[in-house]
Order: sequence, then structure tokens, then C-alpha cells
Amino acid sequence: MMIAVRLLIDVLIVVGAYFALAGTIGILKMPDVLCRMQASTCIPTLGVICISIAGILYAACFLHSADNAVKIAVIALMILFTNPIGSHVIAKGAYKADQRGAKNLKLNPDDYGRDFNE
Amino acid sequence: MQKTRFSAVLATFILCMVVWVLITWSFTVQELAAGVLVSLATAVFSSRFFAHGDSFRFFNPVKIFSLLGYSVTFFSELVKANVNMAKVVYGGCKAVKPGIVKVPTAMQSDYGLALLSDSITLTPGTITMDVAEENGQNYLYIHWIDVAAESGEAAGEAIKGSLEKGTRRVFE
Repeated sequence: MMIAVRLLIDVLIVVGAYFALAGTIGILKMPDVLCRMQASTCIPTLGVICISIAGILYAACFLHSADNAVKIAVIALMILFTNPIGSHVIAKGAYKADQRGAKNLKLNPDDYGRDFNE
Repeated sequence: MQKTRFSAVLATFILCMVVWVLITWSFTVQELAAGVLVSLATAVFSSRFFAHGDSFRFFNPVKIFSLLGYSVTFFSELVKANVNMAKVVYGGCKAVKPGIVKVPTAMQSDYGLALLSDSITLTPGTITMDVAEENGQNYLYIHWIDVAAESGEAAGEAIKGSLEKGTRRVFE
């Protein structure tokens, strides 16, 4: 029984690390700021969720401390609630200040620019 | 600006106190008293931004269950979008076709709009840039990394089809 939980924890950590790595490579390789932010959203979603579920299982089954398990759950929820607000404001700011980074990559369609730049 | 109401203060106070107890996880008198003081101060100053309308909406079990059901829907959407984004990234970031689409939404209340646009932003591949209102109809401007449909309705169905049904059940 314990060995099955241990295996589950390891699998969850590997899956979380896989998606966090995808987000990091995306931040480095995507062409402009908005696409980079899209790729980086992989990190706080499946990366954080999988690794914190692994942490909760470890704290509950091996350390036997409900206290640490609940704290990890609260931390994961806080990241999930606050991250989209930050992404939204950074994306809007980068767009409005015209600092997207890649001039030759056209947005198609660009309804936001059409409605607010005239 | 809204006035501070007693029911809003009470609801915010209960939420702050629950979070305090979960984070500290100690039940001695000193810790709880400090928690009551901090939560009360927070509730008095921030309840008018935090709770509009019916403050005790979420003490209704039906709403809590619809929120839990919504989180299951949201999680399955999240896994799908994450797998797609990982494919794009490990494929060398070649298949990007970014664009900003204007999508009509049926949500009316501020909370519903906030929950829907937060969910959209949290899904890899879509970011809500702005919310605008025209003639009583709310529109979301969504940056989409791989534009598959340019018209508002088709794009909306592809981006937020199942999410919007869940949010409407929670908030309206």
C-alpha cells in the first residue's frame, strides 16, 4: 500500500516537472511577449497542481501532519487565484505600451487594436 | 463607492478567519485572538470592495456544489489545454498563429465576468486582455495563441463553451 502511494507521488512530481519545463522552454523560445505569457501559464496550472498534490500526499501519508498538508493546499489555491490577475495586467500593459518585442509577427485578427486605437 | 454593510463585514470576517485558522493551524487562545483582530480589521476596511449584493451567497450549499462541479469541468479543460501547449513548445514553437478575438459573453454580474475571465486566463493558450460593454452586451477581448476561428461566436464556442455554462450555474 505504502509503495503504491510512493509511486503515485513520484509520478505526480515527474508530470509536474514535465509541464513546468514546457513552460520554461516556452518563455525562452516563443516569438513575442504575449505568446511567452501563454506558454508560462503551464507552470502555475498543471506544474503547481501536480507537485502540490504530491506534497499533500507525502505530508499526509509519510509525515502524518495534517497541518503541512492543509498549508500546501492553501498555497496552491493562492497561486491559482492570484496568477491570472497578474497575467492579465502584464499582457494588457505590454500590448498598450506597444512593447510586444516582435514587430514582424502580426496579430491576425487584432480586434483590440481595431476598437481602441482609432 | 459602496457603503460598508454589516452583512458584508460578517461574510468577509468569516472568510478571513477560516483562512487564518487553515494557515496557522493552532488553536491556542492567543493565536485565535490575534486572528480575530486581524480579520476584523481586514473585514471592516475591505468588505465594501469584496462583497457586493447578497453577501451570504456562498453559504448556500447548492452554490458550493455547483462551484465544485465547475472545478471538475475546469480541471479537464485545463489538462487538455496544457497538453496542447506542451506539444507546441516541444515541437519547437513553430505552430503559433496569434491574434486577439472579440468574443460576446452572456455573463452579466461582475463576479461572473471575473470568474470566467480568470478561468480563461488560467488556461494555457488564451489570455483575457479586457472586458468591454456595448449596448448591454458584454464582450471579452481574448489573446489566442492559435486562432482557429475569426468570428466572435465560433471563437467563443471554441474557447469558453463548457466553461461559460459552469460559471453561469455558479453565479446567475
